[in-house]
Amino acid sequence: MEMNSVAASDQDEVLYRPIYETQRGYYITVGILMLIIVWASFMYFTQLRDGLGVTGMNQPVTWGFYIVNFVFFIGISHAGTLISAILRLSKAEWRRPITRMAEVITAIVLAIGGLHPIIDLGRPDRILNIFESGRLQSPLLWDVTSITAYFTASTVYLYIPMIPDIARIRDRGGKLKWLYTFMAWGWQGTEQQKRVLNRAINILMVMVIPIAISVHTVISYIFSMTLQPGWHSTIFGPYFVVGAIFSGIAALLIVMIAFRRFYHLENYLREIHFKYLGTLLLIMSLMWFYFTFSEYLTGVFGSEPHEMEIIMYKFTGPFSLAFWGMVACNFVIPVIILSFRRFKTIPGILIASIMVVIGMWLERLNIVVPSLANPRMNLPVGIYIPSMVEWSLFLGGLAVFVLGFMIFAKFFPLISIWEIEEGRKEGVEEVKERIQSYLPGTSQPVLVKKSKKRD
Amino acid sequence: MEIKRRDFIRIFGGASGAVLFGGCGLDEVFKLPDHLVEQAQKGPGVETWLNTTCGMCPGGCGMRVRLVDGIPVYVRGNPLHPVNRGGMCPLGLNALHQLYHPDRLTGPLKRVGKPVVGKWESISWEEATEFIANALKDLRKEGKSHEVAFLGHDERGLMQQHVARFMKAFGSPNYYRFSATQNGDTAHALLHGHPRQPAFDILNTKLVLSFGANFLEGGYSPVYYTKLYSHHRERGTRYIQVEPRLSLTASNADRWISIRPGTYGALALGIAYIMIREELYDADFIRNRTFGFENWTGHAGVKHLGFKNMVLGNYYPDIVSEITGVPSATVLELARELGNTRPALVIGGQATTDSTNGVFSLMAVQSLNALLGNYDKEGGIYFTEDLPLASLAPVQQDALSRKGNDEMPIGLSDENAFPLTSFSVESFVKNVLADRPYPIKVLFLSGGNPLFHSLNRHDFSEALAKIPLVVSFDSTVSETSEYAHFILPNHTFLERWEEVSNVPSVNFAHASIQWPVMTPLYNTRHTADVLTEFAHRLGGSVASAFPFKDYVEEIKHVMKGVYHSGEGAVVSEGIQHLWMEYLKERGWQIGRYASFEEFWNLLLERGGWWNPIRRQNRRQRMFQTSSGKFEFYSQRLKTTFDKLSKTGSKETSYNAELILNKLNISARGDTVFLPHHEPVPYDGDKPLHLITFQVLSNRDGLSSNLPMMQEMFGYSVRRFWESWIEIHPKTASMHGITDGDWVWVESSIGSLKVRAKITQGILPDAVAIPFGLGHWSSGRYAKGYGVSPNSIMRNLHDLLSGKPALEATKVRVSLATK
Amino acid sequence: MAKWAMVIDLDKCSGCGACQVACKMENNIPVVDPEEAARDRVMFWMDMITTYEGEYPNVQVRRMPKPCFHCDNPPCTKVCPVGATYKNEEGLVAQIYHRCIGCRYCMVACPFTAKVYNWYEPPVFSENHSTFNPDVSKRMVGVVEKCSFCAHRLIKVKEQATSEDRRIRDDEYIPACAEICPADAIYFGDLEDPTSKVYDLSRSYRASRVMEDLGVEPKVFYLSKRVT
Ligand SMILES: Nc1nc2c(c(=O)[nH]1)N[C@H]1C(S)=C(S)[C@@H](COP(=O)(O)OP(=O)(O)OC[C@H]3O[C@@H](n4cnc5c(=O)[nH]c(N)nc54)[C@H](O)[C@@H]3O)O[C@H]1N2
Ligand SMILES: Nc1nc2c(c(=O)[nH]1)N[C@H]1C(S)=C(S)[C@@H](COP(=O)(O)OP(=O)(O)OC[C@H]3O[C@@H](n4cnc5c(=O)[nH]c(N)nc54)[C@H](O)[C@@H]3O)O[C@H]1N2
Ligand code: SF4
Ligand code: SF4
Ligand code: SF4
Ligand code: SF4
Ligand code: SF4
Ligand SMILES: [Mo]
Repeated sequence: MEMNSVAASDQDEVLYRPIYETQRGYYITVGILMLIIVWASFMYFTQLRDGLGVTGMNQPVTWGFYIVNFVFFIGISHAGTLISAILRLSKAEWRRPITRMAEVITAIVLAIGGLHPIIDLGRPDRILNIFESGRLQSPLLWDVTSITAYFTASTVYLYIPMIPDIARIRDRGGKLKWLYTFMAWGWQGTEQQKRVLNRAINILMVMVIPIAISVHTVISYIFSMTLQPGWHSTIFGPYFVVGAIFSGIAALLIVMIAFRRFYHLENYLREIHFKYLGTLLLIMSLMWFYFTFSEYLTGVFGSEPHEMEIIMYKFTGPFSLAFWGMVACNFVIPVIILSFRRFKTIPGILIASIMVVIGMWLERLNIVVPSLANPRMNLPVGIYIPSMVEWSLFLGGLAVFVLGFMIFAKFFPLISIWEIEEGRKEGVEEVKERIQSYLPGTSQPVLVKKSKKRD
Repeated sequence: MEIKRRDFIRIFGGASGAVLFGGCGLDEVFKLPDHLVEQAQKGPGVETWLNTTCGMCPGGCGMRVRLVDGIPVYVRGNPLHPVNRGGMCPLGLNALHQLYHPDRLTGPLKRVGKPVVGKWESISWEEATEFIANALKDLRKEGKSHEVAFLGHDERGLMQQHVARFMKAFGSPNYYRFSATQNGDTAHALLHGHPRQPAFDILNTKLVLSFGANFLEGGYSPVYYTKLYSHHRERGTRYIQVEPRLSLTASNADRWISIRPGTYGALALGIAYIMIREELYDADFIRNRTFGFENWTGHAGVKHLGFKNMVLGNYYPDIVSEITGVPSATVLELARELGNTRPALVIGGQATTDSTNGVFSLMAVQSLNALLGNYDKEGGIYFTEDLPLASLAPVQQDALSRKGNDEMPIGLSDENAFPLTSFSVESFVKNVLADRPYPIKVLFLSGGNPLFHSLNRHDFSEALAKIPLVVSFDSTVSETSEYAHFILPNHTFLERWEEVSNVPSVNFAHASIQWPVMTPLYNTRHTADVLTEFAHRLGGSVASAFPFKDYVEEIKHVMKGVYHSGEGAVVSEGIQHLWMEYLKERGWQIGRYASFEEFWNLLLERGGWWNPIRRQNRRQRMFQTSSGKFEFYSQRLKTTFDKLSKTGSKETSYNAELILNKLNISARGDTVFLPHHEPVPYDGDKPLHLITFQVLSNRDGLSSNLPMMQEMFGYSVRRFWESWIEIHPKTASMHGITDGDWVWVESSIGSLKVRAKITQGILPDAVAIPFGLGHWSSGRYAKGYGVSPNSIMRNLHDLLSGKPALEATKVRVSLATK
Repeated sequence: MAKWAMVIDLDKCSGCGACQVACKMENNIPVVDPEEAARDRVMFWMDMITTYEGEYPNVQVRRMPKPCFHCDNPPCTKVCPVGATYKNEEGLVAQIYHRCIGCRYCMVACPFTAKVYNWYEPPVFSENHSTFNPDVSKRMVGVVEKCSFCAHRLIKVKEQATSEDRRIRDDEYIPACAEICPADAIYFGDLEDPTSKVYDLSRSYRASRVMEDLGVEPKVFYLSKRVT
């Protein structure tokens, strides 16, 4: 056991490197991010001081960037835990190097997204009223609950599988030993502990999936529970969830590609991973289109005047660019890239993913603003031009995300080392057995060859 | 709009002009003197309601003021008051904002340094009045009392008498009232022989045909007319509005007929043509009560053309359609509907008189009422009874004042422009600049903001600057009072005594007292009392013209007349349903009061006195023309012209021609003296008519310094604190203008930039800009907001009355690349 | 229990805007900075909806004063996370300014855009005296407000009525807008009281409510020859 682990650690040295050595580039990036964050916080301060007047919101467009970004970030957060849980559950072997990154994304982005409704409050000082005199009938309350639940679940779900790795770092000694000792929770890698660990992980991953789905469903309820044309739609729940997973996968891909490059993880994150995830992205893209299509078709077909007003506004109004941009980014481009071998390269996938992330942000924008700008009452169409403050806080959000990731990478391995090992040790065997368990007439050599091919 | 400091800060997320003017947090919008603040904080919160009369405009609505611990906190309409029956307009509701206005002058001011740029120093009443009184004394000693002029605003009733009295006693013929409610006067004087504003019995008529009279939004008493209008459904009254623009009144009318500006004299006559042709007119009224309808023979057997043949000869519907742009079919419909409905009423408004041909146009419009025999008839036109006010003892003039009053008034036009008016701003300005016939040494300015409205700003300000002593009574510094040497601020109407009687165009005799619901906030004084003080300082016969202790006593004195007359009654408990009806059913028994004191107290308590019953023996006073009849052919106009042409050489015919040319009157022969259409001298190269209108929330620019009225300025088009220009979609698309774009509006005088409002509600070859904004002074809330159409208007005037021709300018619009 | 309702007769209404101003004066509603106003942040509890129909020269203009409809089944109160807007026992939809956290969800949920928001700290009447009308509390930055049906007047009237123990008379509880209207176009009263004016008028053939189909049961009725 002991020697085994050492040998392994040699082999996976590259995964430890970021924790022990830091390039200048790292500091520079962190510095820049810090600046952005400070600026953003100053902007938020002015909002606290003067009121939401400093934003571009008005009557009737009473919600803007903050709510858009809230929905967007929470959507992204579905990358992680949900995906990793699904992959774990479906025993997809190739998941091993991916899950951790996915879970980190969730933890960080969820925190950022969860802050947005508070940023959006006119009286953040009264936030406690939600507990003092909260009304569970209000969809906003449903959100508060499900998001907190999701956040706790997914942080735990991030932490538990990290314990063995933390223990390794502890054993290597060096900086912050106390921290790792504390977090390792006396992990020795005994069979007993392993059993408990796997147990915990299994329970969590089963739990986390419904929570994750509930989260985005409930967020969609914020809108669909009102009578506003363009919002008052039953399809919104699943529609939002699909969109969330969609943007989540895209975000995950971007992160993977980025760190693969910076931390030279080429032989952990291989073509195959991107191809698989890419395919998943393609499927989601098609599903997203299917939902969008049915959503708008019902609208156009029924052509209820108020619905029509908003749909036309989206198609042709000042937001038409956002709308058609969304269609291009979420459907046209990714489908083209992902369905042709020729484009389905890592750079190709990167482009597709970036497009999708942008596209999904545009979609959130398209959901929130146009409906508000065209109230049922016969008022002049509202305008919304986000202010400096809102842009700054958006930028700030992104900065926090990147920074969070970099800091995490500074203290913990971005790829679950022990799971990789486990994969090496047991995975192959396991898969072999599994396949044998269901493939009639399978013969060793074939399998061996297969497995040989695979690594 | 240049980028303001606030924008800049906003970009950087700082406290943008958060709420009214200033950083975040507590911005003070109005001012409350400390002693009141204490009163408010210490007070037990006792609530009282006092009735007075709204003074925000001459509309004369009864107002009920809510006071808490003696501090006015809210105003509403007085439900007992016969003019408004509890209703109010937005402007009146803002009375308290005028009272607590932060720019109000807290005491007399003296200007040091040049006009506009100079500094204002406060000065004691004693010093100020003494200085001015001495100046007056000296002038008088030199026998130059006539070199004092008093430019008033729209003061009526006793206040008008009071000022006139002062000027007469002092010895100057130069008391003029700029503006206000006198636009129709000339035309009415010619037709009826007296300038009184007719009152329209809208309530009992079946059809109202209005020529641009925006009586729901403007007019003399918008609230009164709104109330009458509101009964149209159960009364089955039909409204037709003739106007180039869909004003508030037009949009409430059953039918809107769009017409080319400055041409509805022609339309009226076109209608007359059909009514005459189809004999739809009231034959015996025409026979018995009018003069000059048929051809007639004057003294020395001169044959004269009658109205009838003049019309039949010149106003064939197709021709009219040519002039007005109204389809001849429509002219026909109008005429038939009008001629076949009884009672039917025709109303002309300011706009009727707002062009160079104003007087003739209004004459034409009014002659339709004659054809309908509307005078003194239910559902027609009345001239409201004068009040039985006690008169003041006649002024005993001394030699000096007699001499002064005999001088030629300076308001008279040079040579023979505007023959029919004793005063036009234009002539006044010209004369002052030319010392013609003598220099003006002292000018009093009361109310009004003539410089802001002037179409000849440059000369006007020169004239003001030229006068050695200018004294204003304004409560806030306005464009005009910037030129004053002294400002002796009047109280606001909630702090002062005023007698308000017979609001023009209101259908029954009434009187209300405006009285102080509180002690004045600041060290201000009633203009009437200041004049009295001058008089007393001057001593002699001038002093003795003002026997009363103060203005209140004077008001009481005249009201005694009402008390003793035994007529009418102090208003009493309102009636829920149609109130005029009610009075008819119930007849009217006259109020009885133990003593004048009781009458007086009741009057103050209830807020008004009225007498809706007309005495029957009024026939002869109806028309005071030399014929004693309604004059289609105005003998007064004829004689005026004869006088003009007599002056100088003998051969009158040649002279007459000369004068007609001078006045740019195109008509010849008898037509000149008949209602007819005079073409307006537009400058040819500009395609669009510029018209203006007055919005309910902003009376003549009077309320531009009230923040809430500024916000309400364009409430109907959702434009706040700013001017807009109404453009027809066709016209707009021709110039690539879309709603909300900035456009340049260019006339031969100048150009201004304003945002477009695209609307179906306007004549395609006209554009409309609301009037009232575009101040360059008049306080923090007025200065720098919006534009004033007057700044690009040609300095044209009505040919006869010299009234500014506000609808006679043409413009070109183009998209401004902001 | 009374059911307070408003009836606005559009055939009488001239669109003069007096109701809007009376409301602002009565309820201490701030006048916002001109630039703010230009950015669609004006505050009217009684708004004015103007619509043009038809083409020149046959244009029809409709002016429709619009307060809060005090829906009997209000979608706005349902969504409030803290119960800062709620339907009170009088059936009036009220705001609790001191509880409101400023999420503006209720504004979003109101199909009639009846609510306004304090984007900045509202201005005060004068430095050391915050409001004109002492009966109506001043709002603070970051909270939502709207037409209250002049609830503060109801409170007074109720006290009066209970002290003389009797029902509130028709015409006794009248909001500022109804009181001031120069056209007497606004009626106010108790829908449950068969003797009240609003009871009759709300059943008139000219009566209709905005977007009945939404089923939010507005308690503001409009009278118009042309069915709204
Ligand atoms: N609320 C309010 N009330 C007022 C005033 C105010 O400023 N505000 N001013 C007071 C005074 S001093 C006066 S004199 C009266 C004036 O009151 P009105 O006589 O009503 O005059 P306006 O409202 O200026 O113009 C009425 C309409 O005439 C139309 N019009 C313009 N040019 C022409 C034209 O050439 N032909 C025709 N047919 N129509 C035309 C315009 O569209 C405008 O809507 O109102 C008095 N009452
Ligand atoms: N383009 C265009 N121009 C127009 C018109 C138009 O329709 N269109 N209308 C024309 C007509 S008809 C008229 S009548 C004139 C109106 O022109 P004005 O009669 O000058 O009307 P305001 O500007 O309202 O003048 C009122 C002034 O008196 C002050 N004031 C108010 N109350 C009092 C008081 O109690 N005492 C004193 N001392 N001052 C007081 C106010 O501060 C304000 O400055 O405008 C004319 N100009
Ligand atoms: S019309 Fe308006 S401003 Fe004029 S008196 Fe009546 S309420 Fe006052
Ligand atoms: S006050 Fe009366 S007439 Fe004026 S807009 Fe309001 S409802 Fe209409
Ligand atoms: S109108 Fe809007 S704000 Fe008023 S009760 Fe109905 S939903 Fe709520
Ligand atoms: S803004 Fe205030 S009242 Fe409206 S929903 Fe949020 S907390 Fe409730
Ligand atoms: S009822 Fe009261 S609060 Fe509501 S609009 Fe009328 S005045 Fe304003
Ligand atoms: Mo006027």
